[in-house]
Amino acid sequence: MSDTTTTTSAAQSADVSDEVEELEDSAATQEGGGDDAAGTPPGDGAADERLNFRGPIQRLLTRPEIGALAGAAAVWTLFWLVGGNFGTAGATANFLDVSSTLGIMSVAVALLMIGGEFDLSSGSMTGATAIFVLLVTTQVGELGGAGLGYHLAIPLSLMFALGIGWFNGAMVERTSLPSFIVTLATFFILIGAKLGFAKRLTDKVIVARDEDADPEGWEFWSNIFAGQWRAQDNVWAQRDTVWAILMIVGGALLVLGTIYMTFNRTKKMNPAGPVVFAVGVAGSIAGFLLLLTTDGVTNNIIWGILTAAGALVAAIGFGLANFDRAVPVSGAMPAQVPKMFFGGLISLSAGVVLGLIIMSDNEESIGLLGGGFARTVFFVGLVIVGLAALAVAAGKAPPSAPLIGVAILAVPTFTFLTTVQGARAILFAGLVLIGTALMLAAASQLRSASSSLAMILGLATVGVLTVVAFIIRSQGTGRQIRVELFTTILIGAFLIGLGAIMTFLFQKRTGPDIAADRLGGIVNSFGFVALAVATLIRLLFIIPEQVGTNVGSIPLRISVLWFAVVVIGATFVLEKTKFGSWIYAVGGNTNAARSVGVPAARTKTSLFMIVSSAAWLVGMLTAFRFESVQANVGDGLEFNYIIAAVVGGCLLTGGYGSTIGAAIGAIIFAMIRSGIGFAGWDSNWQFLILGALLLGAVIVNNSIRQRALNS
Amino acid sequence: MTEFLELRGISKFYGNIVALQNVTTTVNPGEVTCVLGDNGAGKSTFIKILAGVHQHSEGEFLLEGEAVNFESPREALDKGIATVYQDLAMVPLMSIWRNFFLGAEPTTGVWPFRWVDKAKAMKIAVEEMGKMGIDVRDPEQPVGTLSGGERQSVAIARAAYFGAKVLILDEPTSALGVKQSGVVLRYIVEARNRGLAVIFITHNPAHAYPVGDRFLILNRGQSLGNFAKEEVTQQELTQLMAGGAELEELQEELSAAISGVDK
Repeated sequence: MSDTTTTTSAAQSADVSDEVEELEDSAATQEGGGDDAAGTPPGDGAADERLNFRGPIQRLLTRPEIGALAGAAAVWTLFWLVGGNFGTAGATANFLDVSSTLGIMSVAVALLMIGGEFDLSSGSMTGATAIFVLLVTTQVGELGGAGLGYHLAIPLSLMFALGIGWFNGAMVERTSLPSFIVTLATFFILIGAKLGFAKRLTDKVIVARDEDADPEGWEFWSNIFAGQWRAQDNVWAQRDTVWAILMIVGGALLVLGTIYMTFNRTKKMNPAGPVVFAVGVAGSIAGFLLLLTTDGVTNNIIWGILTAAGALVAAIGFGLANFDRAVPVSGAMPAQVPKMFFGGLISLSAGVVLGLIIMSDNEESIGLLGGGFARTVFFVGLVIVGLAALAVAAGKAPPSAPLIGVAILAVPTFTFLTTVQGARAILFAGLVLIGTALMLAAASQLRSASSSLAMILGLATVGVLTVVAFIIRSQGTGRQIRVELFTTILIGAFLIGLGAIMTFLFQKRTGPDIAADRLGGIVNSFGFVALAVATLIRLLFIIPEQVGTNVGSIPLRISVLWFAVVVIGATFVLEKTKFGSWIYAVGGNTNAARSVGVPAARTKTSLFMIVSSAAWLVGMLTAFRFESVQANVGDGLEFNYIIAAVVGGCLLTGGYGSTIGAAIGAIIFAMIRSGIGFAGWDSNWQFLILGALLLGAVIVNNSIRQRALNS
Repeated sequence: MTEFLELRGISKFYGNIVALQNVTTTVNPGEVTCVLGDNGAGKSTFIKILAGVHQHSEGEFLLEGEAVNFESPREALDKGIATVYQDLAMVPLMSIWRNFFLGAEPTTGVWPFRWVDKAKAMKIAVEEMGKMGIDVRDPEQPVGTLSGGERQSVAIARAAYFGAKVLILDEPTSALGVKQSGVVLRYIVEARNRGLAVIFITHNPAHAYPVGDRFLILNRGQSLGNFAKEEVTQQELTQLMAGGAELEELQEELSAAISGVDK
């Protein structure tokens, strides 16, 4: 044996025996060893954990659908500010109608995408089922359809759809080919079959309901798939009272639930709490009733303040009863806080001033740099973009160089496209939002340094927003500005003030509390349901004063109900059931899922069948609503479903996403399509907006996912 | 005395390729049996037979004295043999509690409205992880935010909770740093102390020796020996594993090469 070997092995064994001792020590004592790596000291719940606890609002901000929700709010606000009628019940019925068939599909497609697969045949599937039903019920010419009754044809078409879903799933599983390719094949097969059979059986590429033979059951199924509700025929005198009560109750429940999840629950209840709570609730209700029954600006202001003050007192009483008091901190103010606060103040003031200066009724294009000069600027910008891109490709310029050109050509483009009124709305909304966000950020920065100053900053923000609200009220033109925007800003200001006071008084939770999260979650869902019902009754009924007007003349179609059923059902399945867990698992890591006994093949095949059943539902809605169907109906829509799901937070690679997000994605899609009409814009712009939206959504969703993983 | 799990002369042939030949070992509750071997030694084939992925071609596989031949991983799992594979154990974007109960979610409610009993699942997941010495603060946290060692420990805790009697760990430390490996080894001891029979597959004798009670060394599909801890030192283990003589040759070559460079 050579010297080298001996020394090496000796050194090796010395090293190793050290390690052995260390390992055996740790094994014996259950402590030490690698405690800084993973074995966190159990039990003490110290605040210096590597993992920061996330409160309910932070957790909401890491949900996949939050990007879509913000997008929906932005799109809605844009069209509401620009197109006068967008906030009305009629417009809502319109965009809900457009979103329903798209939404049913995008929710199903979202499930499939979370499960890690695609279905490109989903679009043509909607048409295929519609044509299937119409074909088997017709009796035209020699060849003719089967002449079946609808009671037979409709279940048969569902079987047909399930069969295709099974086929897609089984092919993907058996061949292990990407579902993209397999379903692309199905897509072409379906297109061909639709055209071929339609032509062969009816000699046309449009298949219509056979009204001559009129097989049994049309009426029955027509009610199910093509029913509608006209608000104009449904008068309810108490509608607005019920609406207001539901809104208040729902809002209060949401606030209470969120508060309950945010603060640290106390061991010993303060007996004053329930009393203060009761007094506050009574004051708030009295104030609100007086607000509803009296007229006049002074009265409104006085009773409005009573309502708000009562709600605040109630929240404090609730806090006294349930939470630990905060330990006040005081220290030096971080240097950036005044800068942020005054920056916010300046931004807000600038928004208001600009809003006041710019004429509200000017619907002309701004046309800054109009005419030949603008064209020259545009072309110069374009040339710079092209040349800079070439330079980047040649490695002679930094990768962002073309942006200089984009900035140059953007000026004439935007001013050409934007009206004075639109610019005003965008500037005002943007500056106010940025200003408020900056002021809130300043207050939150201050919280760890001085709790009292942080509260004062929060209340100062409330004061500024209140002033803004009253300026808007005195200067605004339309009802939506003078009443609705005014109220919205005041409610926002109230919530900010409530948050500031509650965080000053009570201790925020720093650890998990499963019981509190559960109860708070239940309260929140009740609140949410109350708000949804409130919105719904505004859509479903009119008040006696509206009889004979055109309010509520746009019918609400039953497809919206189906959409709601599908969203609720899919969300329940995905979030609450075993199968839902399996969907996430097969999309996130198929092998891991398989190794712990998840039936991966069965899960995926079921998902394909869910998509095809959704396509069947949409096919029925189409067939019964229009009574005739073109052979190419639905073809190409599959990308819209995928876009809606992606906007709603679904990851293209699977394992992550949300059905509610996909539904919101479909609603955004529909809002853009119908909002462009209400705003009087050229409908050809919709794809441009959609494209920008898709890009924005993907970027936002990506950062949300990063935050969820790195929190 | 009947051993809890006993393999007698197990062989596996893939066509005319001999993947495993005449391997004999025993595994008992409260013991860690380490399976050591270099790449290509037949470790994977060995665990796949135990886990029910493959069936052995020759020999006897006795579980509690009874000859078994698993048709599927599910069957092995039902008999209490759980396998934790090194990198396909977890779904990173799913929360800890969902991963913990994946494939065996506790449900509540009345058909067709049966939903996962989330509160119960979260509580059990936190408790079971606590038993392994990990303080889970938020069971809703995605597994992707955990370190590699913690992920292995979730898988180990899961297997232990679901009544595994035999826990097979496939190279749990191979992708981890020194400290992380120490953490995983501690969980292995923890699982052993809880009365599980642990089969620990590794190619690192330094990891195997401190925790192992019995060592099975594989080389090119053959068993080079089956030792109790008293019978062998870590140095001998290392030598055996790399095929002693080959290692010496390699080291001579290396030292020659290094001194050659020095000149």
